[in-house]
Amino acid sequence: MSAFKHHDMLPTPDHDEQARQDFVASLRGHLSGRLMPGAYQIYERRVAPALRAELGREPDETEVRRAMTREPYYQFWSAMQRRSQEMLWESVIDPTERELPALIDRAKSRAKPAVKAPKASKTSKEPRAARSRRRSSLRLDPSLPLPRYHAAVDIHLQPGAYHTDSTADDVAAGVIYDKGLDLYMGGALGAENGLMGETLVAYVKERHPALRPRRVLDMGCAIGNSTVVWARAFPEAEVHGIDVGAPVLRYAHARAEGFGAPVHFSQQNAEGTDFGSGSFDLVVSHIMLHETSKPALQRIFAECRRLLRPGGLMLHLEIPRGHTVFEQFMHNWESYNNNETFSRYMTHIDLAAEAVKGGFARSKVRVDEFAMQMSVAQMNYAENFIWKILAAER
Amino acid sequence: MARRRTPARSKAARKHPTKAAPTPVRLPRIAKGKKPQYFSDPAIDKLLWMTMTLMEELSVARDRIDTLERVLDERGVLRQKDIEGYTPDPKARSARASRRAEFVDRMMRAAQAELSASSSAADPHEEARRAVEG
Repeated sequence: MSAFKHHDMLPTPDHDEQARQDFVASLRGHLSGRLMPGAYQIYERRVAPALRAELGREPDETEVRRAMTREPYYQFWSAMQRRSQEMLWESVIDPTERELPALIDRAKSRAKPAVKAPKASKTSKEPRAARSRRRSSLRLDPSLPLPRYHAAVDIHLQPGAYHTDSTADDVAAGVIYDKGLDLYMGGALGAENGLMGETLVAYVKERHPALRPRRVLDMGCAIGNSTVVWARAFPEAEVHGIDVGAPVLRYAHARAEGFGAPVHFSQQNAEGTDFGSGSFDLVVSHIMLHETSKPALQRIFAECRRLLRPGGLMLHLEIPRGHTVFEQFMHNWESYNNNETFSRYMTHIDLAAEAVKGGFARSKVRVDEFAMQMSVAQMNYAENFIWKILAAER
Repeated sequence: MARRRTPARSKAARKHPTKAAPTPVRLPRIAKGKKPQYFSDPAIDKLLWMTMTLMEELSVARDRIDTLERVLDERGVLRQKDIEGYTPDPKARSARASRRAEFVDRMMRAAQAELSASSSAADPHEEARRAVEG
């Protein structure tokens, strides 16, 4: 059962909307837990032996795809998986659309410029800590061009994706993504969808225990679910989050303010930002790279290098792409069926080599597979995920 | 006794009686990008799409009935707002989760049957034919 916690920037589904979300969760649990493993059996029992006999060698991923997409079992699973993804968004869009005006009002009230903390007065009923609390900020740039790799198709089939404004001051894309992410991951990211941020923070604390970052940048932050984790892990640090999508940033800002986690959000492209050279101790991203492109990858790494002070650290959390050809084929389902166009190319991209092309010294770059030591509370909702981490020191 | 509803007092108007209704925002429902074709006949894609939508709505209806029964049991009186506001307790949530899992399992047998068929080499129909032919 999901540990996801409702908060005031999310709509309250009515009875049937809740039932739809519950159904999507049950359906997807079945598709990935019961039906998807059957594709491995079909492949091992029937498809792989036939391919080996025909080719006289092990098949490559394209040959596996050609054979598997002809298999009725795989066709059914795949078609249902696709429909479940559409249903997932539909089940979240309905309540969001209904409550959107109130959610936009709430976000706008939180985006007002910070009132200068008044001097302590006897009449003030607010405690001192609340008055002097650090605020989040939001800086949008309507002239920022959307990268083609981001806008050509709607990533993850989310209608309108991360960037479409349906009305003035829209926050819908963020609202939908937050609850949709919880449903997509079967609740595995925890109460605040924070598991990826927690994983990368755990990596830093394990591998770089002396690091006390004063400035942290989270690239491709979307709703700031991981950014907030960094702000909480290093409360003395100034934490920034950037993304190209305006509605997700408005939402991220309102959400972080509601959580009392100070984050500075700005609408910028990770390939080239307006931050000063050498101005960050830590630049991170969480499952962002596989949504970009081949040319963008190098530009992003070069920008990370520019932004880091000497000795600063770049960390990108990614999804391992599978060790066997069949695993790779199954991982790449998302690429062909869930509008993750670039993710299939990531299977054969050497991230360390790309980081070197971006200007990092070979000896300062590493790619690790990392599983976080989980707390008992985390084990209640999450599997012990293994992530791929690209780490490079300036 | 059935409540009379005038057209002017829509569901939305009753929910927000003090606010003038602004033009509702319509959010997009279709993702940009081409839908893949999964079966040799595109009609099968559409039929499966519809079946799954029906499956969802059936599940929704069952959840609603479940709510109704529990509310009736708990309060002895049926009121519409009781159903809308019902939040299942942990026990009810867990019972619902098991029922949903069972339902999904039953629906998916169409796909899973192939797995059990592929695990046995002998054709049972061949055996049946031999048996009936004597």
